[in-house]
Amino acid sequence: MLATVLYEDGDHRWIMFARDPGKPDGIIDTNQYLIQSGNEAILLDPGGIELFAPMLSSVLKYVPAEGITKLFASHQDPDIISSLGLWDQALPNAELYSPWLWESFIRHFGMNNITYKAIPDEGMTITLGRIQLQFIPAHYLHSSGNFHVWDAKAGILMSGDVGAALEEPGAPLWVDSMERHGPKMKKFHQRWMPSDAAKHDWIRRVSALDIKIMAPQHGRLFKPPHVADFLRWFEQLPVGVAIKG
Amino acid sequence: MAAPVFIIAASVSAELHQAMIEARGLALTAKNARALAVRAGSKTVGFRAITDFIEELASAIISQSRVINHHAEKLSTQAVTAWHSDNAMAHFRWVEAQKPEHLASIRPHINQCDKQLDALNHELQIGLRDLIGQIDESYKHIRTANLIATSSHVEAATAGDFREQLEVIADNIRKTADRIAAHLNRANSLLSQNHRERKIAC
Repeated sequence: MLATVLYEDGDHRWIMFARDPGKPDGIIDTNQYLIQSGNEAILLDPGGIELFAPMLSSVLKYVPAEGITKLFASHQDPDIISSLGLWDQALPNAELYSPWLWESFIRHFGMNNITYKAIPDEGMTITLGRIQLQFIPAHYLHSSGNFHVWDAKAGILMSGDVGAALEEPGAPLWVDSMERHGPKMKKFHQRWMPSDAAKHDWIRRVSALDIKIMAPQHGRLFKPPHVADFLRWFEQLPVGVAIKG
Repeated sequence: MAAPVFIIAASVSAELHQAMIEARGLALTAKNARALAVRAGSKTVGFRAITDFIEELASAIISQSRVINHHAEKLSTQAVTAWHSDNAMAHFRWVEAQKPEHLASIRPHINQCDKQLDALNHELQIGLRDLIGQIDESYKHIRTANLIATSSHVEAATAGDFREQLEVIADNIRKTADRIAAHLNRANSLLSQNHRERKIAC
């Protein structure tokens, strides 16, 4: 599992885990994120069962198990959180922050020890070590109960499936041209995102943020000026295209 | 490859559920026999006594099947938990081989998981042994049912005009007993196979 430090300021760090060379074929590549501050750490969208062992091994290179006090699942999909039953054995004292809407569904992945902390529809702010993290509503993008994570101090927005692209292995980490990257995201956003109203609401919210890195769950990450380019691109993109006529 | 214990236990539970349904049919046969015995009057006094046995037998099989069914379902759930722990241990072993810097921090949880797995496997062994014992016990009911069927045939022979109808009832008892025995045999075979394979694995 390739680990990349995206941000570091004292004990405040963002680490991205992705591009696992041992990942079985046919499984979508995912970006997992770890945020550390003080003695605490949170794992964002920790991934599917198949990625659990390489993820745990990678994470333990940076932080001891007792330091991972929180998990976050943006929504209920298996590539996001189907590893929960295993994390439940590895981090029995941790808390899982996830949409209230999915609690009774996510529990199907197996959760006997971890505590479910339901995020209300309007979002919430939590303290992690010495920083604050905000869970920003991203409902219907693509899941009907969905949140992104905003770290104002680092200026990083973990944007879940928004900004995601399905790329070939070995693709670069950063978007270098929206003209070239746009076509790689187009079908994914048009098919997976069902609602123009939801899209506009999300764009309105995140346009107010000073985003230095936009970090989706699949594919490359965005830095300025490509963050603004992406928002413009997304705004004009018709979504929910599977509904004909 | 051997089927996992949770599948075996769930299959045993399903077989016993079917046995319970058959036993309900036996209870119905007993009711029909009683009604017939009342209509036939003095010619079927012996048969009337037999209907009590049939009812008791049906009730005993239903209750025994229910107990085994419940036991097997519980065992299947336990086996799923054990499978999860076993799965987690396989992942943990892989992580240990990578020797990450903070490996020691996860050791207490690995040990806890290992201990839980041992305890679960021990409980499963005991549970499976009990289940085999309970199924063996159920064969006694089948032997009783066959005895009742034989006695019913004997009584039918002296029932005059009602002979044919009583013979149908006696046949029903034997056929139902055979069907219940088939479910028990299948359950037994699933468990024995698992027991043998576990012994070989040990």
